[in-house]
Amino acid sequence: VVVYLNLHSFLFFHVLSLCLGYSPPGKPKLTSCRSPEKETFTCWWEPGSDGGLPTTYALYYRKENSDAVYECPDYHTAGENSCFFNKNDTSIWVNYNITVVATNALGSNFSDPVDVDVVYIVQPHTPENVTVTVMEDKDGPFLRVSWEPPRKADTRSGWITLIYELRVKLEGEEEWEEHRAGQQKMFNIFSLRSGGMYLVQVRCKPDHGFWSEWSSTTYIKVPDYFPRETSVWILIAVFSAFIFFILTWILNLKSNSVKHCLLPPVPGPKIKGFDKQLLKNGRSEEVFSALVVPGFPPTTSSDCEDLLVEYLEVYTPEEQELILEEGKDLQEGCLKSKGSPSDSDSGRGSCDSHTLLMEKCGEGEGKEEKHQERAQKGKRQQKHQTGWEEGDVSHTREDVLSPDMSEGRVKTWPSVFSPLPQYSSRPLDHQGSLETARHGLQLPGFRSTEYVEVQRVNQEDMVILQPLFSSSCQRDGHLQIGQGEDYSKVKGVDSGNMLLLQREVEVKREEEDGDRYSCDIQDRVTESCYTTSTAASSQVTGKPTSCAGTAMPVQEEMVLAANGYVDAATMLL
Amino acid sequence: LPSSFLCVTVSAVWVGLVCLLFYSRLVRVGAAPICTNGQAGCHILSLADLFDRVIQHSARMHGISSDLHSEFEQYFFPSKNHIGRVNRICHTSTILTPNGKENAQRLAREELTEVILKLLVAWRDPLWHFQQSIAHHHDFNNFSSNKALEMSDMVHELRKGVEKVAEKMQMLGIISNSVNSLTSPEALIPSDRAEWRLMKDYVLLYCFRRDSNKVQNYLKILKCRIIPQHEC
Repeated sequence: VVVYLNLHSFLFFHVLSLCLGYSPPGKPKLTSCRSPEKETFTCWWEPGSDGGLPTTYALYYRKENSDAVYECPDYHTAGENSCFFNKNDTSIWVNYNITVVATNALGSNFSDPVDVDVVYIVQPHTPENVTVTVMEDKDGPFLRVSWEPPRKADTRSGWITLIYELRVKLEGEEEWEEHRAGQQKMFNIFSLRSGGMYLVQVRCKPDHGFWSEWSSTTYIKVPDYFPRETSVWILIAVFSAFIFFILTWILNLKSNSVKHCLLPPVPGPKIKGFDKQLLKNGRSEEVFSALVVPGFPPTTSSDCEDLLVEYLEVYTPEEQELILEEGKDLQEGCLKSKGSPSDSDSGRGSCDSHTLLMEKCGEGEGKEEKHQERAQKGKRQQKHQTGWEEGDVSHTREDVLSPDMSEGRVKTWPSVFSPLPQYSSRPLDHQGSLETARHGLQLPGFRSTEYVEVQRVNQEDMVILQPLFSSSCQRDGHLQIGQGEDYSKVKGVDSGNMLLLQREVEVKREEEDGDRYSCDIQDRVTESCYTTSTAASSQVTGKPTSCAGTAMPVQEEMVLAANGYVDAATMLL
Repeated sequence: LPSSFLCVTVSAVWVGLVCLLFYSRLVRVGAAPICTNGQAGCHILSLADLFDRVIQHSARMHGISSDLHSEFEQYFFPSKNHIGRVNRICHTSTILTPNGKENAQRLAREELTEVILKLLVAWRDPLWHFQQSIAHHHDFNNFSSNKALEMSDMVHELRKGVEKVAEKMQMLGIISNSVNSLTSPEALIPSDRAEWRLMKDYVLLYCFRRDSNKVQNYLKILKCRIIPQHEC
């Protein structure tokens, strides 16, 4: 009866529990077993459902090749749902067959058994005493990481062999840099970023087993340093900059020659009569008409006389006043004092050309500008005459032109082959020059007038002039016979196109002009005699022929043997 | 004719260079031969070096055995439950081996050396037969049979190495001379012969994996006991 009652109550209890929704426990599951030092180990399980009733768990194990079943010696040391096997209960190289049982009022449930050999479930603790220091090297700083094995792992006796691994990263980065350190307990990290903050972690593993957890992060800050590669680059940069500057300076110094080498200057136009200013002003007709050389090609009489230049007026630079008469386009812009003997165009810029317009040349003196102004004035006066107002440079081959007086007239006549630009003479000019001659003649008291005498024309068709000094101004009152009257009055022109000159009376002049003038005359007189040549000759020199010795013909004689100066212009008439 | 002569010359030079290269390599490789049986004129290793060599050897041996074991487990016994029911009795279970750190440290050096040698001797024949059976079985690939062959060779080499270490230790007076009695393998084999023939291949691998681990561990303990400063 008691048994029946027990069974009945048991069944009743069960049915009641089932009706109420209770159930036996679910199957527990052994999650893992781990040994930290290969001397002890712990197993953890996961409980299944408890069925609504309080459930107890028990762990049972069997050792290899033995049927004895033992229960877990320690449920508490390792925490909940765990079983801890201490040293006495742990055997290495022995297979454990472990089972967990969950039990509640309604029943029990066994987990799946698990075979465990402690050798293969070793997972050590994290390495300890991780220290990171910054050390210096000739290449820069580096990190030295050192650590110790976990306290419980016995590596000293050789029972466990641990290998280590560490990882580094810069603060703020995502990727870790991992390094295997083998069995050593120290590691160096190179190639650091200057001033960076680094994070270091270490972990370990037995030769057959699982990796430990990463140790807690160690922070280290790398001091600022100057990387050696950068300093080398800076040195190279400085050196190249230095060389570059030197080259630039040299280039600057030799800029002219370099310029000549790379960009040879364009020679300026050397067209006779080419007026750049006119071109700029946009009057092309004038420019082109200026190019037309009056008298070239020679359309008038083909005498060489047509090409004669009547006057070459020399302006002194210091002189304030210059007489610019109308019709005078024989003016000289200025004289290039530094007349270079050669007149080759090669390689010279427009400024260098001596045959060109003076206005282009800024070098030299403001006097030249003054001259130019006067030239302009003269230009304006004679607009219709678009000769060479600015004047070709009297770049005659004169070595010396005495600029003592403001005005000096030199009679020159270029040969046809002369490379010098010449003034074309026009009929008007003749007139003008004649008049100027007359003016020069009739200007009393014009002290500044001086005459330059053509000394000779040398082989290269250079007119060599010399001033007529009033050296011998002392002079008696008496006249010398045959002394020169420089100017001869034109008496008339006869039928044969010959100029009839009239001898002037000396005395009369003397009275008029005084000593000075006569002195001038005297000077001229004292000059050596020049023989006149015929006008027909190629080299006609109008020289003063006031030689005492020579017996000049009578006034009415031909121009050829005239006394004093004979205007070359007269010959053309 | 001159072109062929040139060819001959060039090829001769080339062959000469190649020979020189190989010779230099050979010379380098043979720079430090291990002395066997006390040959005169060879480079003598220190005890620490000897220990390092045998420990490396044993580590390699254990690695191969682990590989083979996991291969077996993969192909023949996929479920773990099935493994659990197999009664695994190793033929070396008669050899008393320390099962813990204290037990191992309690053993004398000579005893520890003896245990190592016993284990190595006990596995020479079974592994040779295992390798034979694997070579004839078409189920295994070449990789496995090569490993088995290497494993059996290694056991042989390791045993010789450990004997050398024992000799050295005896020479240095570290251990007594009682180890010499084990050098004759015939003393061990007859009693074990029946048992290991019954072993299945898988059990063999299972047992050998464990025993190679024991060997490696015992050697390390021995080394750190005798030469403590060197990597311990």
